[in-house]
Amino acid sequence: MGTKKNMTGCIATANACRLADVDVICSYPIRPYTGIMSELAKMVADGELDAEFVLGEGEHGQLSVTYGASAAGARAFTGSSGVGVTYAMELYSPMAGERLPAQMAIADRTLDPPGDFGEEHTDAMCCRDQGWLQGWAATSEEALDITLMFYRMGEDPEVYLPQYACQDGYFVSHIVRECDLPDQAAVDEFLPPFKPEHYLEVNNPMIIGAQMQPEEGPPMQYQRYEAIEGARSIIEKATAEYNKIIGRDYDPWLECYKSEDADYILFEQGAHAMTAKAVVDKLRDAGEKVGVVRLRMLRPFPAKQVAEALKNAKAVGTVDCGVALGISGAAGILFTEVRTALYTADKQPITVGFVAGLGGEVITHDEFYRMFCKLEEVAAAGKAEPETYWFPFEL
Amino acid sequence: MAAITPKLDMIKSVQSAPEKECYVPGHRTCAGCGPALCYRLVAKAAGKNTILIGPTGCMYVANTSYSCGPWAVPWIHTQITSGGSCASGIEAAYQAMIRKGKYKGDFPGIVVMAGDGGSADIGIQAMSAALYRAHNILFICYDNESYANTGIQVSPTTPYGAWTSFTPSGPVVPEARKLFPKDLTKMITRGHPALQFAATASIGYPVDLMNKVRMGINAEGPAFLYLHCPCPKGWSFPSERTVEVARLAVDCGMFQIYTWDKETGEFHVDYTPRQQKPVAEYVKLQGRFSHLQPEHIAKLQAFADKRFEEVGIEVAAPAAK
Repeated sequence: MGTKKNMTGCIATANACRLADVDVICSYPIRPYTGIMSELAKMVADGELDAEFVLGEGEHGQLSVTYGASAAGARAFTGSSGVGVTYAMELYSPMAGERLPAQMAIADRTLDPPGDFGEEHTDAMCCRDQGWLQGWAATSEEALDITLMFYRMGEDPEVYLPQYACQDGYFVSHIVRECDLPDQAAVDEFLPPFKPEHYLEVNNPMIIGAQMQPEEGPPMQYQRYEAIEGARSIIEKATAEYNKIIGRDYDPWLECYKSEDADYILFEQGAHAMTAKAVVDKLRDAGEKVGVVRLRMLRPFPAKQVAEALKNAKAVGTVDCGVALGISGAAGILFTEVRTALYTADKQPITVGFVAGLGGEVITHDEFYRMFCKLEEVAAAGKAEPETYWFPFEL
Repeated sequence: MAAITPKLDMIKSVQSAPEKECYVPGHRTCAGCGPALCYRLVAKAAGKNTILIGPTGCMYVANTSYSCGPWAVPWIHTQITSGGSCASGIEAAYQAMIRKGKYKGDFPGIVVMAGDGGSADIGIQAMSAALYRAHNILFICYDNESYANTGIQVSPTTPYGAWTSFTPSGPVVPEARKLFPKDLTKMITRGHPALQFAATASIGYPVDLMNKVRMGINAEGPAFLYLHCPCPKGWSFPSERTVEVARLAVDCGMFQIYTWDKETGEFHVDYTPRQQKPVAEYVKLQGRFSHLQPEHIAKLQAFADKRFEEVGIEVAAPAAK
């Protein structure tokens, strides 16, 4: 379809921004997403991309610049990792609530303490309920793809929501993979220019973000709830269009890998699922009925689709690559989301919560193997006791 | 080539100022509100081709309490931190959209109206970044010398000796406010290489204020304007005396009206008091200073004298009794 190019996730994301003809970029350095910005700076300097490259003063400033640029009608892009993501937290609700469809790339990183460069999903997961669209790429090609798809979804007049385009720090952001780089013409067919209905323009003055009395709170919040729930149909439509025009085969919500008839399924998001798929292949060769379901969109969470994909298994293990300290179930966020999704399903697999890959550690083949073994064990026992396992200490 | 705004002419007098109001009735500011009086002049001077940015503060909350705003031009709220950064984003957007042919109109005047907190305190990082990055914007600090919106708390521009709810007076702290304020204009003008225009102005001198707004918008790059806006509620004086208090501040040295010279770095005084007044007269008018003892007033007088000298105004000998 397009041209073959070897790219890291950072380079792929930058290429997607170039193809999307973003207007305003706001940078600030923090590992491991910085490479996206350096590549964009080079593209701007070389005349490959015409955009204002604004040198942000910090991550809170980055999101504020992006907020203003989007409100003025520009296609705006920014990004961060780790504590940069949490420093900018104040801006996430205003941007979603004011329906500014800018995009933030997050190359995951652990949160301090201390300054661990390694990845966890913890940083981006902290932002998940602010009203943005959010999903994870597992490869550099997918990082490029979600950049383009999320702009299309977020800028749709039925949606108008900002988007977090997430990729595993290092495992996606820094590892080179062969990608299919779409042609500009194909991207232009898929992604129309950004033409918002409400923006700051002197010939059509409007007030954005006026103070509100409490009685106006419920209607506004309900509108925001309708917006993110209503985005589901646009997510499906945009994914189908992307597949057709660019030449991909994505399911909008889940990548189901050999899970349809699986007894034991691991559920996770991001790049570690690639390792899990390799382990699935080996176990399938040995006659084991195992599979992986990889979550592509975290928000809005596809509870119906998740329940359908998992309910026929005997046991399901969620793999949380991050911490959510004190949470119900004592594993991680995916564990509680999946359990909630399954609560009203007509069948109930036993669910186990695994926490693995903390600090940026690889989740090894052996660890995935032990997870599948544990699922087999709990299925035979009829229950999981304990229900959660933190690798490498408890399993 | 960066896009610039169409030039605005200087206003010769109050009588010849534009009639059109761009800050209209329909807000909840206090009677005699200094910042609101300033806002009317700022908006009038800036005119139709303007986008206003309102970081959280009195000029956000009190102006939009009824879920609408009193501006006849586009206006956007931003976080209290973010006046400089939001303005930068809007400016960058228009630069890109005009250059790429996505917007066909004139480059708009982009004006931040930030309180002293949103400029000198929580907003200082974003403000400095915007001025350093050479964005074509006008950053205005309306200084009412406190976080007034939240009920009068101390800010970095609160004068020594002033009561606020975070700096009450009591036996342990008889002067209430112990620290001396930041001098924002002088901080700004020393070290922002792209800065094109910086000046101070007061609600006591409206024509000068309006012209400085226009000079700031006309400047092809970052501009900074510092406005002194007395606050009847926060300073405890009768609401009909706002302009009088503003003029007295200038006459006793608690505020100076000057323009920064971009070439020499010097400050040109735009209004020299014909007769300097003692700070004690200023203090007597305001309830926020009612606890001050003579030794505290003396410190405040010394502060005012130093501020006069910093811009080259010779301190007059005290009038003979």
